Amino acid sequence: METTQLPDEIKPVMENGVPAEVSSCSADGIPNTTIISQVYYVDREHVALSFQFFNKTVRNVRENPNASVLLNDPYGYACWILQVRYDHSETEGPIFDQMDMQIEAIASATGMTGIFKLKAADIYRVDSVRKVTLKRPSTDRS
Amino acid sequence: MIPEVIVLFLDRAIVAIAGTRDERLVPHVHRVSGWRCSPDRKTITCLIPEEFTAHLVSSLEDNGQFSLTVCEVPSHETYQFKGEYVSSRPSNEGDVADFEICRRRFAERVASLFGFPKEACAAFVPEPSIAVTFEVREVFVQTPGPAAGRRLVPREE
Repeated sequence: METTQLPDEIKPVMENGVPAEVSSCSADGIPNTTIISQVYYVDREHVALSFQFFNKTVRNVRENPNASVLLNDPYGYACWILQVRYDHSETEGPIFDQMDMQIEAIASATGMTGIFKLKAADIYRVDSVRKVTLKRPSTDRS
Repeated sequence: MIPEVIVLFLDRAIVAIAGTRDERLVPHVHRVSGWRCSPDRKTITCLIPEEFTAHLVSSLEDNGQFSLTVCEVPSHETYQFKGEYVSSRPSNEGDVADFEICRRRFAERVASLFGFPKEACAAFVPEPSIAVTFEVREVFVQTPGPAAGRRLVPREE
C-alpha cells in the first residue's frame, strides 16, 4: 500500500540503528546509490538525512531534488521505500542537535568515531511511502 | 575493466543496493540479492527480488543508467559501480548458487555482528526474480572517510 504521509509505525524503524540506502540522480541523469547511517523522522511529511560528507548525494539533490530512500526493519520483516524531495538544510537547531547526538552514538557503536560527523541535517519532503513486507525464509535455507 | 582486487572484494561483500532513474530523473532504489562479475571483468549481473523491481526495467529501457553500491561489514569497505544496462531476464536455476551464497554470507555476518536472529537477516535477501546485467563504466571508492568519492576506474588523473 502506498501513502503520502509517514505512518506512526515507521518511527521505530528510523530509530533502530540499521543503515538505510539512498538513491539520487544528477541533473545529467546518472543515478547514485549510497548507504547512510540514519534517517530522522521530522513530521508526517518530512524526514531528515544526515549530511556527513560533501558527497555525490549532497551534490545531486541540490541540482535534482528527487531521491529514493530504503529503510530496513529487521524486527518487522519489512522494508519501506520513500520517494522524497530535498527541501533545505539545517546546521543548527533541535533537529540538527538530535541527529548529531544519534550519529555520535552510531559511530561509537560501529567503530567509526571521528569519521562520522554531522555537517547538516538535510530536510526532505515525503512524496510517497510504500511498505514492502518480506517473507520469512524457511530455516533450512538460511 | 574491473580491477581484480575489486572482483575479490565482490566475493566477500555482504550488501548490495542498486539505483536507477526514470524519464523524469526520479531515482529508484532496489535491493540486490546476489551478484557476479563476468569472466572478462567488464559486466556485473545483479539478482533483484520481485519486491524491489518497481520502475526497474522501465527505467533501464528508457535510459540504461544503473548504479550498484556494494559493502562489506565490519570493515565498511564500499565501492560503487556505475554503467549502462546490457540486458535483463527472469532469474533461473543458474542464479541460485550466487543468491544462496550472498544470502548466507549476509545472514551469518549481520547476525553475528548485530545480534539479530539469522532468520530475520536472511529475509532481507529475498529470492530474486530478475537478473540485470550492466557494463561497468566507472568504479568509485565509497568507504566512509577521506577517500570516499575517489574514482578508481577510470583512474583519476
